[in-house]
Amino acid sequence: MSVFVIGYYTILIAASCLAVYFERRRVFMLLFSLTLVSFVAGIIGGVGALRTITTLAAVLSLAAGVSYAFKEFLVQIARPGLARELRTAPLTAAFGMFVIFTYAIAGIFAPWIAPHGQAEVISTSFAPPDANMLLGADQLGRDIFSRIIYGARNTVGLALAATILAFVMGAFAGLLAAVKGGWFDQFMGRFADVIMSVPSLIFALLMLSIFGTNLFVIVVVVAVIYSPRVFRLTRAVAGNVVVMDYIEAAKLRGEGDWYLIRREILPNSTAPLVAEFGLEFCFVFLLIAGLSFLGLGIQPPTADWGSMVRENATLISFGDVTPLIPAAAIALLTVAVNFVVDWMLFRSSGLKG
Amino acid sequence: MSDIFKLVMKRLGLGLVTLLVVSILIFFAVELLPGDIAQAVLGQGATEETVATLRERMGLNDPAIVRYLDWLGGAVRGDFGVSLISGGSVGDAITQRFLNTLFLATYAAVIAVPFAIVLGVLVALMRDTLFDRAANILTLTSISSPEFFLGYVLILYLSVKTGWFPAISSLSAGMSFGELLERTFLPALTLVLVVTAHMMRMTRAAIINLLASPYIEMARLKGMPPWKVIVKHALPNAWAPIINVVALNLAYLITGVVLVEVVFVYPGIGQLLVDAVAKRDFPIVQACCLIFAATFILLNLAADVGSILTNPRLRHPK
Repeated sequence: MSVFVIGYYTILIAASCLAVYFERRRVFMLLFSLTLVSFVAGIIGGVGALRTITTLAAVLSLAAGVSYAFKEFLVQIARPGLARELRTAPLTAAFGMFVIFTYAIAGIFAPWIAPHGQAEVISTSFAPPDANMLLGADQLGRDIFSRIIYGARNTVGLALAATILAFVMGAFAGLLAAVKGGWFDQFMGRFADVIMSVPSLIFALLMLSIFGTNLFVIVVVVAVIYSPRVFRLTRAVAGNVVVMDYIEAAKLRGEGDWYLIRREILPNSTAPLVAEFGLEFCFVFLLIAGLSFLGLGIQPPTADWGSMVRENATLISFGDVTPLIPAAAIALLTVAVNFVVDWMLFRSSGLKG
Repeated sequence: MSDIFKLVMKRLGLGLVTLLVVSILIFFAVELLPGDIAQAVLGQGATEETVATLRERMGLNDPAIVRYLDWLGGAVRGDFGVSLISGGSVGDAITQRFLNTLFLATYAAVIAVPFAIVLGVLVALMRDTLFDRAANILTLTSISSPEFFLGYVLILYLSVKTGWFPAISSLSAGMSFGELLERTFLPALTLVLVVTAHMMRMTRAAIINLLASPYIEMARLKGMPPWKVIVKHALPNAWAPIINVVALNLAYLITGVVLVEVVFVYPGIGQLLVDAVAKRDFPIVQACCLIFAATFILLNLAADVGSILTNPRLRHPK
């Protein structure tokens, strides 16, 4: 029994008792189930397992604290209407916004934050971390930390460009199909069906094998693959708006299609579209990460998270976690966007449960 | 009975048409290649004679439509032409690997399907509890992680640090079944993690949707025990969405399998496809794409047919 173990259980049990005393049922359930789990984990895994649990709990509470503070900060600086909405946001959504904010900062100010250039060879290959290089060097002797920072700009930027293109194409076609109807609607619908009936990664591989891998091709191919999803949603949402009386009135006034789309339909269908943008970004981001992991995305020496994992994968067989950091960065951003989207969907649909 | 038959046949016909259109898409996409396949294959060192010979050998002098029908006819019989790089038959290269991939996907599905459905139903019943919240966050994280991340995490913790399972699934002929299962455990587990998360969320949504309907509330109000409400009232109606969820996620396995195979150097069709894309070996790319797309379409078809068969309401479209 080390001091750590005694302290660990004392704190947990004392906190559980306090929670019961102040009649916080959920807090008590959480703390006490954690205590019970720790008993089992401690017997099986020893002190190491307890330390892992402590670290996890600390990280979780740190994340919760940061998200709470960030949410309050946003509430303070936002306009009154927006502030009221933000106040109701769950912690997960606040956490998501904080992560997105951090990535945006890292991406925009990459050259100033990163200590070295992304293609700069400054050391021997796979050099261990030192004061100069936070995470060590990669297979060519470039600073991994700097490359991760630059990756935020390159990988996320590429995914964002592809998402925006997919969104513009899909939404435009969807709105037009809803307004025009008839054969155009039918044709676009069938076209979307065909594209969606091929798995996206397979389709992307086919296209990239034909057109080669440069940035422009990747953006266009990925946008074409994912625009049918946007098309379907926009078509469905706009389809509900088009049958409204005020659209009929606008048509009788003699307004053109473009006016209808821009002034009548679009303002009435923004909420689901914004949420869809977030979801779409996640899909696109994961697809692009997968492609660049396969060596078919952004080409070296430009830093990119997917290819960084592949290039440094040999380090994993020596028990080093560094190659997993870019992959974790991908996962973290996707989770964050999903959290925010969840909250938006909940808000716009008023769904309960 | 004939009603169901007609409906199913109609859906099958539609699936066949989709498959045909997709095969056209896959074949003619290569025609979009700037320039000529022969030129692209030979690269810059090509002389006029070599290009002409290759064109002759690949039959590029025939019109595209003739070549398409040739290709499709061959593909149906399992003959996908010859590889541009090795010169060997594509069909031979694919068969064994396709079986390997099928084995991996089945392995993952056998674990994932029961596991995910049971968990999904449990989570739906315990909704808004701490367990539900935790499951929500965990599944979301699993869905949001790229497959290669999960794969490498598993390699790091279950193979490198503990040495429980082999990190690289090298298969050889004459391995016993148990050994095979052990060798392919990590790739299968990676797929299980991804698919389970998807399937759990979809099952949860389907069940919650169902539990909100008035007839379930009625059953509850008349004092039926909860397990009976689920088994006698909810489950018969839940089959259709659950079958849908399973089939859709098996289709999802197909995409996941490509990345997982590359991570674990598994000798499957996904790995073959990725190699062929890098080398621009078009016959192999086309063949693999066709196989993947066909499996995807078939599974979606199975989902639709399954829900028609289990849901009487779908048999009488308004």
